Amino acid sequence: MLEIKPIFNAMRRSKVGAFMLLIQIAITTAIVSNAAFIIYDRLQYLQQETGYPEDEIFHFAVLTFGKDRNLSQQFEETETTLRNLPGVINAAAIQEVPLSGSGSASSFGINPTTEQGREGLEVTAAYTFGDEHAIDTLGVKIIAGRNFEQDEVIVAENNDVMPNVSIVSQSFLDEIYPNGDGLGQTIYLGDMPMTIVGVVDKMKGPWLRASIADNFLIIPFVSADNFQRMVVRTEASQRAAVMRQIEDTLLAEYDKRVIVGLQGLDESKREYNASDILMLRMLVVLITVLVLITALGIFGLTVFNINKRTRQIGTRRALGARKSDIVRYFIVENSMICIAGLLIGSIAAVYMGQALLELYSLPALDHNYVAITAAFVFVVSILSVLIPANRAAKISPSVATRSI
Amino acid sequence: MLKMKNINKVYQTEKVQTHALRDFSLDVEEGEFIAVTGPSGSGKTTFLNIAGMLEPFTKGQYLLDDVDVGTLSDNQRADLRNQKIGFIFQGFNLIPDLNLYENVEVPLRYRGIKSAERKRRIENCLEKVGLASRAKHLPQQLSGGQQQRVAIARALAGEPRFLLADEPTGNLDSLMARQVMELLEDINREGATIIMVTHDAELARRAPRNIQVVDGQLADFTLYQSRPSGVVTPANVAVEA
Ligand SMILES: Nc1ncnc2c1ncn2[C@@H]1O[C@H](COP(=O)(O)OP(=O)(O)OP(=O)(O)O)[C@@H](O)[C@H]1O
Ligand SMILES: [Mg+2]
Repeated sequence: MLEIKPIFNAMRRSKVGAFMLLIQIAITTAIVSNAAFIIYDRLQYLQQETGYPEDEIFHFAVLTFGKDRNLSQQFEETETTLRNLPGVINAAAIQEVPLSGSGSASSFGINPTTEQGREGLEVTAAYTFGDEHAIDTLGVKIIAGRNFEQDEVIVAENNDVMPNVSIVSQSFLDEIYPNGDGLGQTIYLGDMPMTIVGVVDKMKGPWLRASIADNFLIIPFVSADNFQRMVVRTEASQRAAVMRQIEDTLLAEYDKRVIVGLQGLDESKREYNASDILMLRMLVVLITVLVLITALGIFGLTVFNINKRTRQIGTRRALGARKSDIVRYFIVENSMICIAGLLIGSIAAVYMGQALLELYSLPALDHNYVAITAAFVFVVSILSVLIPANRAAKISPSVATRSI
Repeated sequence: MLKMKNINKVYQTEKVQTHALRDFSLDVEEGEFIAVTGPSGSGKTTFLNIAGMLEPFTKGQYLLDDVDVGTLSDNQRADLRNQKIGFIFQGFNLIPDLNLYENVEVPLRYRGIKSAERKRRIENCLEKVGLASRAKHLPQQLSGGQQQRVAIARALAGEPRFLLADEPTGNLDSLMARQVMELLEDINREGATIIMVTHDAELARRAPRNIQVVDGQLADFTLYQSRPSGVVTPANVAVEA
């Protein structure tokens, strides 16, 4: 027996508390569904496949101040030393670290740039220089074509001689050669021609947030410089141990240099995404606080109503209400407020989603999020009302005669 | 219809133990109208609450229509209250947010009576207490006497065979008190058994049977029911005894 009508009438006659709660539920629903959706969107972003086994990779830079070294050989000696460390899978010289937020980008064309500019298709992409070990060290897979040959890697102190091959991401290839015949074709960095010799299914560039995040090229070049960046891939479980011995090992080999910027790839990515992670945490806190406040509000209103109606509850019990009737009364009362609040809140959520879409170019709110949030808020509201309602059911029917 | 045998009720609070009823025994026959008097704190409300199954007793036996109340579950007691007993309280205990119609409806809803039948009974009972025209009013829009009449209508709506009233006129002036008393007498004539606690000696005298509770025990005044009015009051008999 659901006493919807008399409960509704009773509520209409003392409506302030109910109205406040309704508004609170509506606001909670609107904000939580949008926040939950943004959280989902950001999580998708943060957890996306980058193509790299991030927890197996770390990188660092060697800054050499000794003048007695042949810099165009040093990087290979370093690589060899690294590969001899237990747990290391491969090591490579690389100019820019993917996912780290710092790198180089340029437009690549199917024709060279001339004094008149460039004709034909141009695609912007990030790129890095690296040697023939870069592909394996970064843990990416070549799905078509091949890796660099050792003699294709140009090691030089200046840009006089440049490489003439490159390995590109599938995404870049599809954009610059949309017909699917890109492998083996030539692309131009400025007027420098390079043949596409290999394609990697997925390797993200340095900037995950950028629209060109999927366009990435590796160009076989090592700059014989006193600043040389290295990437290393290890067994995931050994990475920490390997990282700890890097400095000692390399300095033992040659000590007129310093090791800087030793960092795991996942850590670099986290730093780049710090603001997203912060926003995510703040949204989670916001949602939690809002839901808690709403739960407390429902709890509080119910406790307040029960205290105000102690005598009424006793009277109802005296007139034949079972304990379960009393519990049901509060659940029905709360559900009516809650459902009204959820309806208003759901509509508000959709409008809020549209506003966010226009103001901050967020993706369009998935309406499932509104439905799930509404269901969640409803469950929370029932749980918040159950505890005080059960207490109300324990009120003795004798208060009907005892309390005047 | 009501048989209490050696009922004891002890209230246990942190420091004090109150023996509200001691070996309280009483038989009430169908159709009786009993006025209960006695000094404040003597246990009248306690007796009425136990009779109405509003609270448990500590020891003894209570049979209501041959059903041993002590063996019933909480739900069974609630259902029995709903079906057999009508309550009238000193403070009326109308639900302030419900109008008169909805107030009278409360026990009928708990019994699961269909809406059309509820309507018939509610209108009937409000008619009986002379408030049919005010069905849509809220309790606060009525005088105390009117509110008590609504409470009586609510007690009657379930057609109980047993009416329990704890000082039903305690908050009313003497004119209104008399009206309420007349209403109760009508109801009793129609067959309901009534037990009424009152401090008003004059009203008590109008009841065919008077009992007095003193210190949780019973003094029965059945013998004096045909006394010349004003000569023997329950109070001074108690002093003689
Ligand atoms: N819930 C309770 N807890 C403790 N003691 C109680 C409780 N209810 C009643 N008492 C005590 O039981 C005794 C009988 O109380 P009861 O209310 O039955 O008296 P009464 O005859 O109805 O008095 P009054 O005429 O003032 O209404 C009193 O001493 C009272 O203090
Ligand atoms: Mg009393």
